[in-house]
Amino acid sequence: MLDNKETKIIKVFIYIVCVILTVLSILPFWIMIVNATRSTTQIQQHAVAFIPSTYMMNNFKILTGKSFNPMVGFKNSLIVSTFATLCATYFSTLTAYAVVVYDWKLKNAFFSFVMAVMMIPAQVTMIGFYQMAYKLGLTNSLLMLILPSVAAPSMVFFMRQYMIPSLPLEIVQAARIDGAKEFYTFNIIALPIMKPAIATQAIFSFVSSWNNLFTPMVLLTKQEKYTMPIMVSLLKGDIYKTEYGAVYMGLTLTVLPLIIVYLFLAKYIVAGVALGSVKG
Amino acid sequence: MKKLVASALCVCMMTGMLAGCGDTAQPATDTPADQPADTTADKPADTTADTPADAPAGDVTLNVWAFTDEVPNMVQKYIDTHPDCGFNFTSTIIATTDGAYQPALDQALAAGGADAPDIYAAESAFVLKYTQGDASQYAMPYEDLGIDVAAELKAADIAQYTVDIGTRPSDGKLVGLGYQATGGVFIYRRSIAKDVWGTDDPKTVAEKIGAGTNSWDTFFSAAAELKAKGYGIVSGDGDIWHAVENSSDKGWIVDGKLTIDPKREAFLDLSKQLKDNKYHNDTQDWSDAWFADMKGEGAQGILGFFGPAWLINYTLAPNCGGEKVGEGTYGDWACCEPPIGFFWGGTWVLANKATTKTDAVKQIIDWITLDCTENGLQYMWANGTFNGEGGTKDCVASGTVMSMSNGTLDFLGGQDMFEAFVPANQYANGKNLTQYDETINGYWREQVREYTAGNKTREAAIADFKQNVADNLDVTVE
Amino acid sequence: MKNKNNINAKYSKFGYIFVIPFTIAFLFFMLYPIFYTAFIGFTGLKGLGNTISTPGMGLLKENIFKNFKDVIANGTFQQSMKNTVKMWVLNFIPQILLALLLTSWFTDKRSKVQGEGIFKVIFYLPNIITAATVAILFGAIFGYPMGPMNDLLARFGFIDEPVHFFLSKNVAQGVVIFIQTWMWYGYTTVNIIAGVNGISPEIFESAEVDGASRTQTFFQITLPNIKTIMLFILVTSLIGGLNMFDIPKLLVTNSGPDNATKTTSVFIYDQAFAGSYLYNKAGAASMIMFVIIVILSAILFYIMRDKDEAALKKMKKQQDKLRLAEIKAQELLNGKGM
Repeated sequence: MLDNKETKIIKVFIYIVCVILTVLSILPFWIMIVNATRSTTQIQQHAVAFIPSTYMMNNFKILTGKSFNPMVGFKNSLIVSTFATLCATYFSTLTAYAVVVYDWKLKNAFFSFVMAVMMIPAQVTMIGFYQMAYKLGLTNSLLMLILPSVAAPSMVFFMRQYMIPSLPLEIVQAARIDGAKEFYTFNIIALPIMKPAIATQAIFSFVSSWNNLFTPMVLLTKQEKYTMPIMVSLLKGDIYKTEYGAVYMGLTLTVLPLIIVYLFLAKYIVAGVALGSVKG
Repeated sequence: MKKLVASALCVCMMTGMLAGCGDTAQPATDTPADQPADTTADKPADTTADTPADAPAGDVTLNVWAFTDEVPNMVQKYIDTHPDCGFNFTSTIIATTDGAYQPALDQALAAGGADAPDIYAAESAFVLKYTQGDASQYAMPYEDLGIDVAAELKAADIAQYTVDIGTRPSDGKLVGLGYQATGGVFIYRRSIAKDVWGTDDPKTVAEKIGAGTNSWDTFFSAAAELKAKGYGIVSGDGDIWHAVENSSDKGWIVDGKLTIDPKREAFLDLSKQLKDNKYHNDTQDWSDAWFADMKGEGAQGILGFFGPAWLINYTLAPNCGGEKVGEGTYGDWACCEPPIGFFWGGTWVLANKATTKTDAVKQIIDWITLDCTENGLQYMWANGTFNGEGGTKDCVASGTVMSMSNGTLDFLGGQDMFEAFVPANQYANGKNLTQYDETINGYWREQVREYTAGNKTREAAIADFKQNVADNLDVTVE
Repeated sequence: MKNKNNINAKYSKFGYIFVIPFTIAFLFFMLYPIFYTAFIGFTGLKGLGNTISTPGMGLLKENIFKNFKDVIANGTFQQSMKNTVKMWVLNFIPQILLALLLTSWFTDKRSKVQGEGIFKVIFYLPNIITAATVAILFGAIFGYPMGPMNDLLARFGFIDEPVHFFLSKNVAQGVVIFIQTWMWYGYTTVNIIAGVNGISPEIFESAEVDGASRTQTFFQITLPNIKTIMLFILVTSLIGGLNMFDIPKLLVTNSGPDNATKTTSVFIYDQAFAGSYLYNKAGAASMIMFVIIVILSAILFYIMRDKDEAALKKMKKQQDKLRLAEIKAQELLNGKGM
């Protein structure tokens, strides 16, 4: 009995903490979304409100009237993230397939190398990367944001870890006996088996590409090429000073697609994080 | 199948790129900007002649870069009022906050190509970099655009400092001009002056704050009088800073070395004095609290702000909390001579030497900076007719235009602001600017704040300031 | 056996062919930029629009390590290094403690928490949002004088006058630390829970039979069994932390007050792309950071290898475990585990 009572108290405590954390996670976004619908005057009187107001369109007009074009950022981010994700997942799976399925002399050396370079962040290579892009005249090219994702060492590592138990080599052998070409086998047999891993990695690749600020900030100078995070960073500028409603509106526009997608895919995303760590 | 197509696409892109890199790597290293520049410089006349014939209306698209929408709006206005000019434009606007504009513009200029800016704007805080400093090689001289510089300067009677700042020392050619005159005055609240000194007459207030004494002593006595009545004299130390900065004799850098002009160093003490005596509301300029003081909603009422004509129209008026007399602080303002003459801000317009749209660029730049007729930009700008009758008025660079214009403003309770500003403009000079002003001012103001807040000694603040400059800029510090 | 080897030899060329795209992209977009960055660190390259082929911008003739020495002696670099380490440490400790606490609650069979899945989804939410947006949002939330934080504090009577949060170094750093913790604790929690779920349930059952208390179970059974995953989280978080950029860059103007929120990545960016365009100094600073990160990666590499070897040694046991984790993960993926 005593134990039961203690368990109950602990449980109540756990729920209280979890609810507090939930509020902390959601409150900033709630304030943001509500303020996006309130006028600047309302915000100045009370910066926190829980009930939306009616100035949404007004804020939107102020925002877009100041050369803030969320559609351009959205389009560019979508292009970059989609193609980067396609490149990253496809070529990482292909590379992992090469490591898992075939025996080649440099295989182990290659894989050790992949693991060694897994953690090199973009920041430390940026000076050279920028100079290279500059010399090639590609500073404003979205290709420079897409193509590097063909080499995603950590994703190769993940794909290999997943592929070893999930893709029996017998299947590959069987396909060969049926006369299938290697590339065909990979596309038609291996890829579908890897679907769950590809799905989770695709989500992460997409999100990290969508959220990347550093590389686009260094490379892109043309407003038509700006991605969403750079658009967002413009909201800090003087021209939005005192236009609180419009700033919140701009922030909301950049976040809303992410939140909606997240709510639909949350299960898979959270499971994917867990999957990655178990394997890694 | 989709994946196949996608992957094929990626492979193609990559092969294309690798092939492309092999081809272009060599010539590209010779900086692409050089080539078009030579052609345009050699035959500006040809280009001007060709353009209208080759290009039907709207076919030429100018890239305009600016840090506010001011210049892009001007270009738009020009196109609207000249429907057969034969070009349109796209604008890139990046605020100067966080120093974001300069790196972006620099890279766009350096990268060249079709996306490069044709016309770009620079603010006084960094204009020198583009007209005389590290990035001056990208600017095209006005005369190469086909502008008769000497004759037009004379006809428009352009303020000399505008010309000085816009002249490139390497070849003595004019590469940039502003459209404003930005000599500064003290802009004060009539009601507060009346309450403290019994009158809101500019002459009396000028006397009270020590106008023309070239020292801050009288000003601080006035601050004490105001304090006794529960008012602050300025909103934050930034208000005084602009007066200090642009009245000092030397800029931050002299012969490549960091130099702290005694007047600028004294700002430490002025700022400390303001803060310790609570003569201000301790706001930072361009912060919300600073704007609140314009509305009269700060912790204590604030007598006034130091600034040029644009401060009235673009900052005080939109933040005064009203749009006609009686609302907010609208109409409760007046201008008088400041204790120390100074100037603040201004926008210069430059052309990229790599531009291939010389004629369009010429039309725009000429109209903005040198046209002194009633159809020119500056006349509209000075008389507030840019956005239709009754718009905001500003001091302009052309003396010819100023003499044809009327500066009476309801916002100033019917005062003709040009009476105060025309004499103030003589203080404007380009001698104490340097190309890194925006960055160095940032460091200096930061350290002054640290000192006045009591976080650091005066010596430590100066030492840290020097350290910051040495660590981050290519400037010798002793 | 021989036959099989022959078959393998026949197909081994495909191994090489299939890694070509990866290798090319890697050489071109990672390896070359690294060497180029390192090379720039030894040159005089500075100034807008210059490249190393510009006269006077090539390799330094005398004192080839000048840039490296300058950067190490650079007070702002030292300060940014200190800030980075400080902000990382102070964000990691609460993050890992909170994650462990939540893990111990969520994995304890005796007090099954209802809605665990929903909580995980909500705690993970901030991690998915663009860091640039988060930085500017928090900049607005802590705004002066009319920000939501001031409004809340005033409404609850904690303050009479609005507070200008970003004037204080500690508060500015504190906000950065808070945001980092807030963005990452969900991720860490989900990871550690997955690690705990990978532990064989029999171990817990026998502990329960032996009458171990909740606390005892956690410290003596759970913690030792998730050592690897903890190290993994530590090293990845450290490497991520050393490259902190978006939040400090966009939260407070000019990395203020008094450089308090300047991180090494912001320092590198400022050197190269703002002010004087000191590409060579930025290159040298990048390489210093690179060396630090390589050392940390080597540690991670070592940890991972160790794990694989362990798997070989304790083949059966470990394989069962992995298999189990596999099934768990599959369940999670299919939404059953939620």
